[in-house]
Formats: sequence, C-alpha cells, structure tokens
Amino acid sequence: MLKYIVKRILLAIPVLLGVSVIVFLIMRVFSADPAPVVLGQHATAEAMNQWREANGLNDPLIVQYFNFLAGALTGNLGESYYTHTPVTQELLSRFPATVELALVAIIIAAVIGVVLGVISATHKNSPIDGLATILALVGVSMPIFWLGVLLIIFFAGVLHVLPSSGRIDPLLQPVGGTGFYLLDTLLMGDFEAFSDAASHIILPALALSMYSMAVITRMTRSSMLETLSEDYVRTARAKGLKKRRVDIHHALRNAMLPITTVIGLQLGSLLGGAMLTETVFAWPGIGKYVVDSILKSDFPVVQGAVLLIGVIFIVINLVVDVIYAYLDPRITYTKEEG
Amino acid sequence: MSTMAEISRRRFLQAMGVVGASSAFALAGCGAQRASDQAAGSTSGEGGIADTITFAQGADPRGLDPAYVDDGESAKIMCNIYDTLLRYDTESCDVVAGLAEMPEVSEDGLTYTFKLHEGVKFHDGTDCNAAAVKASIDRQLEPARTEDMPYASFVFGSEDSGAGVASVEAPDDTTLVITLRAASTPFIKNMAMALAAPIVAPSAIDAGDSNENPIGSGPYKFVSWSKGENVVLEANEDYWDEEHMPQTKNVIFRFIAENSSRVTALNNGEVDIIDGIDASVVPTITDAGNELFDEDGMNINYMAFRNDSGAFTDVEARRAFCQAVNVEEMVQSLYGDYAGVATSVMPLWMAPYDEDIEQTAYDPEAAKEKFAELGITSCTMLTYTNPRPYNSIGGQALAEAIQGYLADAGVDMDIVSYDWTTYQTKVETDAFDCCLYGWVGDNGDPDNFMNLLADENVSMNVGRYRSDAYNALIQQGLATPEGDERDAIYKQCEQMVADEMPWMLISHSKNLAGYSPKVKGFFYHPTGVVHMEGVTKSA
Repeated sequence: MLKYIVKRILLAIPVLLGVSVIVFLIMRVFSADPAPVVLGQHATAEAMNQWREANGLNDPLIVQYFNFLAGALTGNLGESYYTHTPVTQELLSRFPATVELALVAIIIAAVIGVVLGVISATHKNSPIDGLATILALVGVSMPIFWLGVLLIIFFAGVLHVLPSSGRIDPLLQPVGGTGFYLLDTLLMGDFEAFSDAASHIILPALALSMYSMAVITRMTRSSMLETLSEDYVRTARAKGLKKRRVDIHHALRNAMLPITTVIGLQLGSLLGGAMLTETVFAWPGIGKYVVDSILKSDFPVVQGAVLLIGVIFIVINLVVDVIYAYLDPRITYTKEEG
Repeated sequence: MSTMAEISRRRFLQAMGVVGASSAFALAGCGAQRASDQAAGSTSGEGGIADTITFAQGADPRGLDPAYVDDGESAKIMCNIYDTLLRYDTESCDVVAGLAEMPEVSEDGLTYTFKLHEGVKFHDGTDCNAAAVKASIDRQLEPARTEDMPYASFVFGSEDSGAGVASVEAPDDTTLVITLRAASTPFIKNMAMALAAPIVAPSAIDAGDSNENPIGSGPYKFVSWSKGENVVLEANEDYWDEEHMPQTKNVIFRFIAENSSRVTALNNGEVDIIDGIDASVVPTITDAGNELFDEDGMNINYMAFRNDSGAFTDVEARRAFCQAVNVEEMVQSLYGDYAGVATSVMPLWMAPYDEDIEQTAYDPEAAKEKFAELGITSCTMLTYTNPRPYNSIGGQALAEAIQGYLADAGVDMDIVSYDWTTYQTKVETDAFDCCLYGWVGDNGDPDNFMNLLADENVSMNVGRYRSDAYNALIQQGLATPEGDERDAIYKQCEQMVADEMPWMLISHSKNLAGYSPKVKGFFYHPTGVVHMEGVTKSA
C-alpha cells in the first residue's frame, strides 16, 4: 500500500511539471503586459520598463520559468504583482471558503444523486425514472450562472428567506479559527453564527451541486442497472430476500465503486474553485480570485493557484483510488512482514 | 518468507474518522471569536440610530496604504481611516482645512507652510504631529520612492519633471513646511486626495504591513479585512474633529462583484448602500423602495483621433468625422438620463466658464462630401470591451454606434476590441486611426483634465496630440493662481480642443449609487469617495 502511494506521488511530479510549464507559457503568451495594470494610469514608459526589469519580466522565458520553479520547490510562490502580498498567503486565506463550499455541494450532490439514481434504476422506465432523467438532463445543461441568479431572485429577491451573497454576517464572522465558518461557529458553540453561515451557504452550494448531482444520478443509475442484472442479485432474490435489502445491501454496495470515483473527481473539480458560483454569490474563494488575477495579468497568483489546483486533483484522485480499493471486497491491500 | 497482514475496511474507516475529527478540533480549537467582539458591538441600535451601516462595492481594495494603491475601491475605504492635510468640501472639489489649516503660500508660490491641529493622535495612540506627516510624505519622495507607488509622482512630482515637492521640513510639532521645485496651483488640491496624500502613522510604516493593517487618524479605525469578503471599521470615539465625528459605530465594506447580486443584496436588506451600478438596474432599485443617488461625475468619455498618423492627421478629416456622428442622439440612446453630452473636456460643474464652448455640429451631408473629397473610405478604431466608469455600457457598444454613423457617411469603420488590460498596451503599440478612451479626474483641478493633451506619455495622450501653443498654455495654467486669469487660460485650451478636434467629446457620466431609505447623510463625492462619518441609518 505504501509502495503504491509512493509510486503515485512520484508519478505526480511530471504531471505537476507539465501543468507548471503550460500555465507559465499561457500566461506569458496570451496575457497582457501587467506593468500598466500594476503601475496605474500615471505610469511612464520608463517606469514600466524599470518595473518589468525589477520583476524579471525582461529576462528570457526559460530563465523566468526556472526562477518560478525554484521558488515553487521551496514553497515560495512569489508575491502578487498587484497587492504585494505573498501568493501563498492570498491562496490560503481563500482556500477554506472554496473547500467549505465544495464539501457542502458534494454532500448535497452525492446524497440526492445516489438516491435519485437508485430509485431511477430500481424503477426503470417508470415515470419516476423519466423524471429523474429529465432532472439529470436539466442539471447538466443549465448554466450555473443562470441557475445562481434564479435562486437569488427567488429566495432572496422574492421570498426574502435567504441571503443572496457572502459567507456570513460580517459581525458574526468567526476570527482566528480554521476559516471553515460552519466548523468554527459550531465548535465555538455560537449557534446564531452557525445558523447564519448555514443560511449563506445553502444557495451557492445548491447551485454548485446541480451539475455534479446530475452526473452522479446518471452514473448511479447505469451502475445499478448493471449490478441488478448480475447473477448474485438474481440468486439473492431467489433466496427470498426482501427487495430493499437486495437493492441496498447487494446491488448498491457493489455499484458504489464507479460512483465513488465520479464523486471523487467531481469533488476535485469543485475544490479547484467554482468561478461562476463564487462570482454570482460573492463567495470569497479561489475560483473568483484566480479569474480576477488572470484579468489583471497577475502571473505569480495564477501560476501558484493553478499549481495548487493541480496538487488538489492529484491528491483527490489518490485518495479516491485508496478508498475505491477498500470498498471492493475483492481487493486487499497487503504489506510484507519480515 | 513473509506473512500477509490485512487491514480491515472497518478499521480503515474508523481510523479515518478519528483522524478527521481530531484534526478538525485541533485546528478549530481555541482562539476563534466573533468579529463583533473586535468591533464596536452588535447590530442593534440605540436612540433610533442603527449601530452598523454596510456599503457594498464591486471588489476588494488593492490595499489600504494610500502610497501603494491607485484604485477607487481602496480610496473609498481609506478616506474614512486617514486624515489628509486638507480636505475637499462635502459636495465639491473646493479645498478646505483638514488636519492642518489652509496653508500660507509664499509670494513665489514655492513654499507652503501648514499649521497642524494640536494633540491629534493616530488610532494606536501615537502622536500625529509634523514629524509624522513628514515621514508619511518623505517615503514617497525620491530617492526613497519605489516603483510600486502609483500616485507618488502625480501628487508629489518628480525631479525629472522639475516639478513637485523639493523638501518637507518639520521645525516643530505643529508646523510643516513644504517647498516645491516650481509653482503649482494644483498642489493644494493634491493634498486633499485619497491616494498618496493621506497621512499614515509612522508605526504602521515601520511595521511594514500598512497595506493590510492600516493606522491613520481618521474618523474610523480599521478592525479587520477578510479577503474577498469585507473590511470592518469602527468609530474612532476620540476623533479630534468635532464637526466630523462618526455617527455610526460600525461601517462595513462588503465586496460583491456582480452588479445584479449587489442590487439584490440591497433590495433584500443585506446591505444599505451600493455603488458601481449602471442605468439598467435603476428601476429594480427604485421599484423596491430604495433611493437613487445620481450626481454629475468628474469624468470624460471621448474618442481620440490618432493625430500623428493614419486617416485623421488632417483637421478637416477630423471635422468630417465629428460632423458624421450625432453625439447628442447617441448619448441619449446609449446612456439615457445617466450621462450628459460633453460640450467641453471638463464637466461644466467643474468649469462653468466653459459654458459657451461649442463643439462641431452634426452635419451628415457635409461629412459625406468631405470624406469623398479627402478620399477616406475606411478607418480602424481600437476599443476596449469592459464597462468603464465613464462608459457604463462598455466600448464595443459605443464603437458600434459610431460605426453606424460612419457607414451613413460612406466610411467603413473596422472595430478592433480588447479587454481593458490588453487594450492599454495596444493603444501604445498598434496602428489605428481612432480609439475610445476616457478619464476620471483625480483632484478636481482643470490641469488634471486639460494636461492629458500635453502629456508626452502615450498612455495618457493616446491620440499623440502635439501643439506647442497648447503646451505653453498648460504650463502657464500650472503656475497661475486660481482666479479669472487661470480660468481664461483653460477656456483657451478648451477652445483649441473644439477647433482642432484631437478628440471627439462624447459624454460625462453621472455617479450612480443606490441606498436604503433608512440611510441619511449619504453623498458620493465627485472624486469617487464616500465619507461615512456623517452617514446614519435609522434602526
């Protein structure tokens, strides 16, 4: 098991190197010159050139890349051109918001998606199955941006029952904890703040979960249908076991393998930052920050953030593979004892 | 020989659960507290006045040290944390006493002697005296100045230009003497600006994190900044200026990027004031019972002709272009009631003496004939795509409107558009015949607008207009004290622009903001800042 994990980590190195080269080149080739953005409307051409020189932007690309790589290897992702704050600090201050939203969204997506998928598979070709199929189709097709605006208009604008944006009432905001407001407020025993944070996360999490929910529903349905046609399921039924027990304990447990993989991949993509959702709901996470930084040609921030997202994907995939093995009774991780 | 040991699934899941839960508790643990424990108190009000006012703007501040920022989002927050030597009058760009009385100016216009108020303290309790003010300014003067101080050269000048601050002296605690290299009438207005000019506590400068943990002497104290979420300020109960004592305990600036989300937040009662809105959302705001603030802004939306190359180097070609476009109709159609047709470079509220300046009148037939005579059948326009403070609909829609008028006059106009960041480089490097641009005033002085056409810097003078006569007027205006003589100089500049048409003037946008009817005392200053000390909200 340890050998397997080490092997996977070693394999991640060329992947991250590839990611770093691609994002570095894309930013240098397609982004505008950051100097006018950083120095403002009163900057002279001479001042801009001095700034480029001071920030190494006049060096050959290969030199710039290796400088970036050398910094990244020592954990120094540089400073934001725009705010002068360390990139690591900027990313860490926004990361909890992204993780919290992604986790709540994936929980909603997984619970509803699996339930809908199972019902759909066990009632194949029934009206319920049709309804679930339509819901999945809508979930995949509906732009998150539009859905977010609709949710805001209905729940905040018309019903006035939920807040439209932000993570929490600023005066209830927990300071000095983990940055995960639901967790911090709960552990502080501040239920007013917890309830406020929960009310703020409902709409963005719902909007963000819609796509993943649809994918999980479709995957659960097809995986369940495949499992339900297996011989051992027929045998279990022939033995007189109750339908629900067969569906849940025999079929679903075995159908969960590909579903787990999909949930893991979806979580990985949600953790990478949900730019549209974060923008619509003014959610202070990484996705929105990266897009703002791309528009400002803030190279160190974009490079650092994409590397971080790459690491997240690799770690999530690794974790999913490990969990996958534990969910499959046929797979046994072993270690040698002397 | 080896034996195989199996790790059971149950044990794995149990282990993961224990690790997860213990990490969570260890991380969250102790130390977390409510932001309101750090700020002045709860949201409940006393005496019918709410304790907290929330202002929603479109983005985080770039930073909170006035030396290192150039954006309006930072300025709106900073003007509440810091004092300036002088300040703008509440609703105009006239300068009045601030941290210091109005200065004594020497006859040659080079020496400004400021008398500071006694006993003023920064928020950390240190003295806000002449030495502190000197330190706040000195760091922005050469050679201490660094290239990441975007407004230092504008406010304090530079050696190369032969203008600006030569030295700052603090002979005693309440006297500050600033000596200029050359007489400069706008200097006094610069001292009231929200960028570069505000006085930062030496303790914050020495600590090196003044951009994140600002310490000023203003009516509000900094409490916290949650990146991407909010900045919380609390009233400075010991504020020295009784006329400008803060009326509300807590002021929160929230950052909501989406226009429509800001509007919903206002209509839902989550925030009390929003800005950065365009005309399209005005009905949504007013229909919900909220108030609209719309006052003339300090800006100009214009189209610059390339004066040094391309199709419009000849003044007759530029005149034909201006005759082809019905600016009045276009402005009304694109901006409705929320922008006025520009009849001069400066908005008339800023320069009422420009009232009788007239721009080239709309005459499509004359334009058509002149274009045919000059053989101009096509041209290229560069434009930006994003909305700008002076052009709420963005450059593309405006360019297309102009393109339509040009087509009627027999000229095929090619539009090349870029996002704003890229565009700023393209206007310096690419070939074009005309381009859309604009300007938001910094300090309310005429030089700040009219100097654009005398600037050697291409990023400021995108049309590359060069006129020795115009430049001489600008130099004269700089050194002439405020009054009729100076007004006459700038009127002459305006007349030259109207006659030679280096720009086709389009519009002056209004500053728009929405606010709850419970909010009183709100005013959006023409310089784009909002002083919150006089703003209250009924509970």
